[in-house]
Amino acid sequence: MASSRDDFIIAIRSAFLKKSTQQKFSLLTLVFLSLFTILLSNLDFRIIKILKMSINEIVYRSSFIVSIPENFLMNTFIKISDYTTFYNDYKNNKDELNKLRSSNTSSEIIQYENKELKELINDYASSSNKILAKIIVDHESPFLKSIIINKGSKDNLKIGTNVYDQSYLVGRVIEVNYKTARVLLLTDLNSNVPVTIAPQNIQAIITGKGNNSGQIKYIKDGLSDEFTDQSIAYTSGTGAIFKSGIPIGKLKKMEDQTNKKFDVEFYTDFSQLKYVFAEVITQTEIDNSNTDNNNVNNPMEAKLKILEDEIKIIEESNIKFKDENELLKTEINNLNNKINGYKNEISKKNLTINQFNIDKNELDFLKLNLEFGHKCRRTFFNNKGFKVGTSKYKKCVMNNGRINE
Amino acid sequence: MNSLRSKGSFFKLYSWLPMILLFISVLNEFDFNYLNLKYFSFNFPFILIFFFTLKEFKYFDYFLVFLSGLINDTVVGLPLGISSLSYILICIATSYFRNITIRPNPIKDWFYFLFVISLINSINYSILTLFFSFNLILMAYLVNTFFTFLFYILFVQIFKHYQKGLND
Repeated sequence: MASSRDDFIIAIRSAFLKKSTQQKFSLLTLVFLSLFTILLSNLDFRIIKILKMSINEIVYRSSFIVSIPENFLMNTFIKISDYTTFYNDYKNNKDELNKLRSSNTSSEIIQYENKELKELINDYASSSNKILAKIIVDHESPFLKSIIINKGSKDNLKIGTNVYDQSYLVGRVIEVNYKTARVLLLTDLNSNVPVTIAPQNIQAIITGKGNNSGQIKYIKDGLSDEFTDQSIAYTSGTGAIFKSGIPIGKLKKMEDQTNKKFDVEFYTDFSQLKYVFAEVITQTEIDNSNTDNNNVNNPMEAKLKILEDEIKIIEESNIKFKDENELLKTEINNLNNKINGYKNEISKKNLTINQFNIDKNELDFLKLNLEFGHKCRRTFFNNKGFKVGTSKYKKCVMNNGRINE
Repeated sequence: MNSLRSKGSFFKLYSWLPMILLFISVLNEFDFNYLNLKYFSFNFPFILIFFFTLKEFKYFDYFLVFLSGLINDTVVGLPLGISSLSYILICIATSYFRNITIRPNPIKDWFYFLFVISLINSINYSILTLFFSFNLILMAYLVNTFFTFLFYILFVQIFKHYQKGLND
């Protein structure tokens, strides 16, 4: 028993301390060095920061170069996949483009209004400048979801800078080097984004799930019952981590769940990212006492722009109304023509009816004339009668031969 | 192979191939993730380090292994030193296993590898969640361990061919 324990200790000691001829360091030294590095990397000293930034710069660039063959393979694979669905994608995009065009004008007006109101509330004007950044490392580790971009502190990027794919949020900068920066993606488990879920107007936090979707957290029980598949999530701006009003994704009902549970389907396809936009924000205080042209012009210009857009919309509506009026006029004319036609027909029918009535009276007269004509006719023996063809004669016949009535 | 030896620089390159591969793999972090297989990933550096340190390959320097760990941390975005510690722990485990083994057996090596990577991934996971408050997917770690274990035997055959070529 003692000897086996001795063997174990000898083996362990040998493993830790024995250095073969080729090795410069024993494993124990390297273990201590690793622990020391872990400790050191978490200290916030300037020299360590600079050293870390330098290592990051070198490693990220090297990683970009080394990844070229794999990226080529990956891109080829994606291109082939894209070609197979090219036509359907084209049709869908075309439909979507038409829809977006129609809603573009009104959203522009809302944006201008929003900008103006924000300036009034915050008392400062924030001008943002989106800079294009190339993704140099995107390895999508199964454990951490982050990307490296080729813009850093040199381009005014800071920790927390919002990063976009077109107008959709992708993530935020968590580490800044001189010419590179690391962006934590929304899909990462450590990513928490305060959001508003519209149209229900529910505040929540979206956390990455590690795959290409997010989950809704920290909402009151029962509020999730109000969600629908049409609900969309955009940043609420709470905590000032992300700007407000940036679209993130839409809610999607989980299929494998019997109860009503929703996940967030991000608008961005994180596996297809090549370039992103980093938003560099510069805030300038508005001096209320100073009424120089610049401060007046900007809101004025925005107002003018809004009015111009409104006029444009009104003109468009007017044209639509005019067209509609023309259509209605033609319809009215057609109806009038029809009415005239019917009137003519009625008058013709009336004439026929009148003629029929005349004929009928004549026939009645002739019938009675045969029967009572001799009573009404003036003759040698009937001097009380009337001359044939006179109105009195006719009246007498119609009264069945009664002369005095 | 004599001709290979005669070409000095090419032989050197061939001898240092495992180390070059290790650096490429940590810089490149190739994981076939674009295949969109859920959780699918395997840790190639673990396989490489385990095999070549177990065989006491003379062109496999511990310090360079330590450096590759630092690079891996930088690329992946982990706190510096975590991967280095993992890699060095693998080296210690293989060194110990080599000391206690009289007759090497590939199957034993394979299951010992499973034990080692499970232990190291557990340490890794514990450090990151307890000390650095990282949110990590445990399932991703488990699947990564499983596929690394599966692929080990496949890569061992390739490495053996490589070693044979070098010795001839």
